Parts: sequence; C-alpha cells; structure tokens
Amino acid sequence: MVLDTLKRLTSGPKPVVLLFVLLLASLYLMSAATQNSEVFGRLYSLLLAINILAMLLLLALIGRNLISLIGQYRRRAAGARLTARLVIMFAILAVSPISVLYYFSLEFLHRGIDSWFDLRTEKALEDALELGRSALDSRLRELLRDSRTIGLELARKPDSTIGLSIHAIRESTDATEMTLLTANGRVVSSSSLDPSTVIPTLPNQAILQQMHHGLEYAALEPLHDRGLHYRIVIPITNPDPLGEPRLLHTLYPIPERIDTLAASVQNAYTKYKELSYLREPLKYSFTLTLSLVLLLSLLTAVWAAFFSARRLVAPIRDLAEGTRAVAEGDYDMRLPLPGRDELGFLVRSFNEMTRKLSRARDAAQQSQAQAEEQRAYLEAVLGCLSSGVFTLNQHGSLRTSNSAAATILGIDLNEIAGLSLQQASVKYPMLEPLLETIADHLAPEHGGWQAEVVLFGGSGRRVLICRGSPLQAEGELPGEHVIVFDDVTALIQAQRDAAWGEVARRLAHEIKNPLTPIQLSAERLRHKYLKQMSPEDAEVLDRSTHTIVQQVESMQEMVKAFSDYARPPKLQLTQVALGRLVKEVLDLYQGDERLRITLDSKGEMPTIEADMGRLRQLLHNLVKNAIEANSDNAPVTLRLLVHCAEKDSCRFVELRFEDNGPGFSEESLDQLFEPYVTSKPKGTGLGLAVVKKIVEEHGGIIWAENHPEGGAVITVRLPVQAKHREPQHSDRSRPLLNTEAQLSRPRTDR
Amino acid sequence: MAFITLVSKSLLLNPLRRLRPGRWLRLLAALLCLTPVALHASAFSINDIHTEVKEGVHLLDANIDYRFSDDALRALSNGVPLTVHLTIEIERLRKWWLNDEIATLEQRYSLQYHALSHQYLLRNLNSGAFYSFPHYPAAVKALGTLRDLPLLDSKLIRPAERYQVSMRVALDIEALPSPLRPVAYITPAWRLQSDWYTWFLTP
Repeated sequence: MVLDTLKRLTSGPKPVVLLFVLLLASLYLMSAATQNSEVFGRLYSLLLAINILAMLLLLALIGRNLISLIGQYRRRAAGARLTARLVIMFAILAVSPISVLYYFSLEFLHRGIDSWFDLRTEKALEDALELGRSALDSRLRELLRDSRTIGLELARKPDSTIGLSIHAIRESTDATEMTLLTANGRVVSSSSLDPSTVIPTLPNQAILQQMHHGLEYAALEPLHDRGLHYRIVIPITNPDPLGEPRLLHTLYPIPERIDTLAASVQNAYTKYKELSYLREPLKYSFTLTLSLVLLLSLLTAVWAAFFSARRLVAPIRDLAEGTRAVAEGDYDMRLPLPGRDELGFLVRSFNEMTRKLSRARDAAQQSQAQAEEQRAYLEAVLGCLSSGVFTLNQHGSLRTSNSAAATILGIDLNEIAGLSLQQASVKYPMLEPLLETIADHLAPEHGGWQAEVVLFGGSGRRVLICRGSPLQAEGELPGEHVIVFDDVTALIQAQRDAAWGEVARRLAHEIKNPLTPIQLSAERLRHKYLKQMSPEDAEVLDRSTHTIVQQVESMQEMVKAFSDYARPPKLQLTQVALGRLVKEVLDLYQGDERLRITLDSKGEMPTIEADMGRLRQLLHNLVKNAIEANSDNAPVTLRLLVHCAEKDSCRFVELRFEDNGPGFSEESLDQLFEPYVTSKPKGTGLGLAVVKKIVEEHGGIIWAENHPEGGAVITVRLPVQAKHREPQHSDRSRPLLNTEAQLSRPRTDR
Repeated sequence: MAFITLVSKSLLLNPLRRLRPGRWLRLLAALLCLTPVALHASAFSINDIHTEVKEGVHLLDANIDYRFSDDALRALSNGVPLTVHLTIEIERLRKWWLNDEIATLEQRYSLQYHALSHQYLLRNLNSGAFYSFPHYPAAVKALGTLRDLPLLDSKLIRPAERYQVSMRVALDIEALPSPLRPVAYITPAWRLQSDWYTWFLTP
C-alpha cells in the first residue's frame, strides 16, 4: 500500500518537473552565493550538496529508465526499438546545443572574470593605500616625538602627583587615553577622554615583550569599535631609582575625515586583493555551477526524452500488444485512448474493430456450440444403435464411426481413421472382405447397396449384413458414403438351428413313429407264420421280415443321426490340446489296414476352447470320410497336417486332411457340406454336414478342394482365443476371411 | 585542586558520536567531491593542557601550535579572514553504555590581516574580544595561547565518576568566502585540524 502510494507519487512527470524547478532554484541560490551574497553564502555548501544529490537522483532515475529500456529491447517488447530511437534522437538534439552553449558560456565566464582585474586598478589601489599610510606615518612620527617629550616630563614627576600630571598632559594633547604602567603591564596611573572608561586599553603581550628590550612602539592600529588609532608605547625613567622601569602608553585618534577615508581605502584594497586572490576559485565555482546547470539540463533533457518517447510510443505499443492479442484470439482487449489526435483515431478504430471481432467470435461460438450440440445428439443416437455405422469421405477414407461399429468389428476404428481402404486392409487383414465389398460398391452409379460379408477373426466367424449409401444430404461433400452393418451371425445360426430342428422334429414325428409298428408287425408276422409255413415260404417270409426289420432299424438309425445333427448345440467347452487329441484319435486307426496315416505337426500347438467330444467326432468323421471315399479296396493314404498359423499371430489352428482318393466331383463341391449330399457308396450323407456344423459351432470354417496331383483336401480352421496365442512376430499373413459364397472353397486356386 | 591525566592524542573510541550536523555537512560535502582528501591532521597540535579549579570553576590553560599551510597564509595575506574553531567536549564515562555528554564548549577565533596598518587582527567571535598584533608570529602565538578558559562548574562533577575531556581545533572552511569552499573541501592544504586531544578530569 505504502509502496504503491510512493510509486504513484514518484511516477509521472510531476515529481521530475518539481525536482527540476527545485534544482533551478537551488542553482540560482548557488549562483547568488558564489557572488558572496550574505544570506546565500552561508548556504553555499548545503546548496552544493543538495544539487549534487539531486543530480545523482536524476541520474538514478535515468539509469532506471535506461535499464528498463534495455530489458525491453532485449525482450523485443513492443515499442522498445522505437522508444530507443526516439530517446537517442531527443538526447542528441538536446545535448548538441547545450554543449555548444556550455563551451561558449565557459569561455565568456572566464574572460568576464579576468576582465574584472586590471593591473592599473590594482596599482592605483596600492598607491592609495601607500599614500594613506605615508600621511598617517608622518603624523605618527610627530606623535612619537611628543610622547617622548611627555615621557621626559613625567619622569620627573613624583608618584604622588603623577595622576594629576597625566590627566593634565592628556588634556593638553589630542590623546584619548594616556596610561603609565610598569614593564610588566601593571597600571600606575591612567587618564581617558571617555569618563566611563574604568579599565584602560592596554598594550598586548607582544608589545610588552618588545618593551623589555628597551624599544619603542609606535603603530597605527584599528581598535575595536573605535576606528584607527595611533598607539605609542615608550619606556620612561622611574623617578625612584630602585623602582621598576615604566612605560607610557598613549592612544591618539585619527581625525574622523581621515579615518573614514582610510577605512574606505582599506576596505577597497582588501576587497580587491581578496577578489584577485579568489579569481581562480571563483572561476572554479562558476564553472562548477555552470557544469551543474549543464548536467541538470542534460539529465533533464535525457529524462524528458525518455518521458516523451514513452508517451509517444505508449499508444503504438498498446496497438502492437493489442494486435498481438487479437492474433492470439483475445478480442476483448480495449486500448486506452491517448487523445484526440491521429493516434487516438487509430486506437478508436482498433477498439471498434476488436469490438466487432468479439461480436463475430461470440456468434461463431454460439453457432459452433449449436453444431456441437447437434453433433453430440447425433453421436448419442448413433452410439445407442446396435448397428455399426461409419462414414467414408470422398477419398474412401474412414471419417466417422459409432461405438457399435468398433464393437462389432472388434478393433479401434480411430486407428484407421484417415487411412484408405487398402491401407486399412493392410493394417487389419481381417477386415479385408468387408473393405473389399465396400470398395466394390463405392462407385457413384451403385447408389444404395446391400451385401452379406463373412469375417473370420480372433472371435471366430462373423456374418455381417452390410448396407451402404452415398451421402447426398445438403452440405455433405459429394462422394461421401455411409455404411451401416449388423452382426447377424447369431441370427443366421439361430435360424438354421431352428429350421433343422423343425425338420428333425417332423422326421421323428412323421417317420420314426410309424417305424416301430412296422418293425413290430414284421416281427409278429415272422413269429406267427414262420413255423406254419412250408420251408420255401418260410424262407421267403424269413428273408422279407428280416429285410423289413433291418431296413426299419437302418431308418431309425438314420433318423437318430439326423436328429443328432439337427439338435441345438450343447457345447461343453474346455481347454483342449488339439495336437494330443489328434494323436489319440489317429491312434485308434493304427491297426486298420485300410488306412495309412501320416501325421505332420509343425511346432507347438496352443490349446483351444472347444468341446472335446465334438472335436473327436469331427476327426472321426473326416477319417471315415477318407476311408469311405475309396471305392476300391486299396489302402487309403491320409496325410494330416496340423499347424498353427504363426504368420497370422496364431489366430487359428489349421487341420488339413489330404487323401489319395478320387477327390470330389466338380458338381458336388458346392453342396459337399449340405446334408445328404454324398458321392460315396456308403454312409448316411451327414458326415461332412456334421463336420461343418461342429466347425461352425466352434466359430471356425471349413472348405474342401481337390489336390492338383489328385486326391481330396479338406481344410479346417479353428480360432484360438487371444489369451492362448503364442507370442507372434507379425500380423501380415493372409487372413482366413471369406464371403458366404467362398466359404467352402479356398480363395486361391489350389 | 584538580589534576589532569594525558591519555592520547588519537581519536576517541567512538568518533562518529562527534559528528554534529555541521560536521555531517562537511563530511557529506567531502564525500560528494569523491576526491580522497588527506586531512592535515598534524597541521595544528594541542600541547600543555592544564586545568585547575578556581572559585568553583574548572579553568583550562592550553597552548596550541597553529601551522597554517602556505595556501592559507597566502589567503590571509590577501585579506581573507581565517576562522579557527575550537571544540571542547566533556563526557561522563559509563562502563556499559555510551558516555554521557556533560558539556560542550565551542570557541571561534578569527584572524585577519589589516593592510593599511600592517596589523594582524585577532577576534574572539564568541566574546567579541579584539586584539591587534604587529606581526604574524605574535598573532598566532596569541591565538594559540588559552588562559583561564572556563570549562565547567565544578558542582557538575561527581566525585565517584570519571570524566573525559576532548579538545580539537580546526580551520572552519564554512567561514571562508563561498568561491573558496569547494576548493577548500577537496584540497588537503585547506583541511587543517588537530587530532582529538583527550584527558581525564577528576574533581
């Protein structure tokens, strides 16, 4: 608080102007004091000290300004360079004339002081003094002679009458005082013109000392308050031969007129001598005063330069800072008006501009807030959708997406934002079928489109229904697309399960139910009539009823197998070591002469989450399928390749069954995994359908193909959960992703 | 009957205490001149101090040897009066605290040359006493001879206490003509003064 008040009082031009005025007054007083004015003379040293202190104060003030300016200059503060230029310019403009003036003033001053002194004047004064002295000396000699006469006269007088004698003698002469005293200065008798004088004026010790040597003393002396007097001291003889020597001390006045003239000459001479002696100190003092004036002027000019420059640059600096603030987005800055000049007009215009900018900014912010609100609303709506939605810009890059899209695809879509579809495929190979489908439909002529896409990733086989449409809404850029897709894997599976369940139920109801009465009837016929018939008829009946029973049992088995196929999956998932399971199953066929099995297992197999019984059934069905596919009796060679797709981060394990049989016919390849589609002489026709069902229950895929060198190849891929994958090196291998149409056929021509 | 004990001619233990406003001014002026000033401390010397009690008053006798510099003598012969400042301070000594100042005595003497009469005029500026001398040695000798200068009423002196008297003489620069003062402040030839002469005063 105190500091603020102090700062307020010491800032601005007022204190410095006051200081300047005080300094001027002080310098004036000092100049007066130099001329020996009585009043100011006593204050000379004080004034000098005050002036020097004030100069130092002004110097400190300028120093502070200078340091501040240097700091601003180094910081490249707004207006610092301009302030520096103005200060330098003002300072030069002020210093040059003042310096010239100082030089010539000093010259004139010195010459002026020298001109006061003239040798002729000095000689005249000395002559006048000498003249006065000569005139007075002649009178002094006369008085000395008179004193000697008086002394001789008094020497003859007895002490008893000496007082009267002295008084009478003094009365008869011009003497103002006449005293008879001993050599030691003791007064014997005295007479004075002034009756009030009690103690006579005595000669000082030096005169008495001179008397001890028997010398006389006669001199002109100025007496205190009494002007010039002749003082004459002569030794006189003591009438008493035994008495101590005596002295006659006489004071004679100088005539008033002469005294006045003598005093005048004395004063003039003394003053002139003193002034002449003080010539150099006087020059020194004047030079000092003039230098102080010069310094004061210079320092004040420099300070004024700082002040003026600051005042001039302040609005420009404000404008620069204001412009910088506006550039940084601060439109609320208002600059103080410096005045009504052109700068004031400029500042007013700036303030008006920032005001308008501020309004425009507020309006833009309001619009942005509304747009943001609408966007947030739209995002909330899209976020609540169970369908995945994303948009592509005109370059085919992902622009926006909702959370359901990321959930369905199982990736963070932000990572492929801005990437082209091809780049996204490289980054996430599992998305390739979807991205290819989208790319195929991006042409503008397609309009709205719909497709079913199957993805195969870490979470298994996913079937997506994908719909796309070009965005033609107002404001949207042409060529943008919106893609909406739904995960229908569970729906399709549920529909398929429901359909096959209905078939199984009808079969059981319509076929399996009549079979038991048929079988029972046939057995009853056989039991009742076989013994009563002739052997020939009995044989016919026996064979017929046996056939009926056998076929009914066969039909029951077939219905049971189908029922098993169509029943809803009740998987009991456990961690299964696939490699061990394959070995166990194949070990069962070690003694079978119809089969030669080669197991080729590469690397360590991860465990997969699967129903072990169902997998065991899958393996048996595929092995049996290979055995049954062989029409002749030659042993079948089955090569089973089991490996983990290490190049694809071991996202799945692959089982590849290769046999040396006749292979699949081209016609049957498309329906190979449908129920009751078989080219084999034996079997129910459900073997591969069950296999496919088990694979799909486990989220895997299966396809069949013919080997180029002959024989059939069936490939099964089962997903591996992420937590069971081995640490892998890259994720760049080709994915196992197929559309529905390619499900049973590998993409490459193998 | 009083007796004196000579202690030293050096400065007192606490010289700053002796700085009165006038001295502050001189010191400040000397500092502002920023010129190293070697004081002519040995220009004046105080000798033969003697105090005695007469009629209940301590009286001082002293001889002071004034050796004015050539510059000062030249100024004197050119009519510039020289003023000498005599300062005497009497303090009661205290063991655990600053000394108690009992009395301060200041005497100023002016010496001037009268060209017409060839006399040197000596004035006691305090008492107005006026003397004239036919030559400089007699005037300086009279200036340097102090006889029966009353110091202190003996009633102010307590028997159980110790008292210290300090005395110093100096040329008064402030009494010089003002053009001469700046030069005098920065010129050693004009900075004429004695050391502090200190002695103990007991009843």
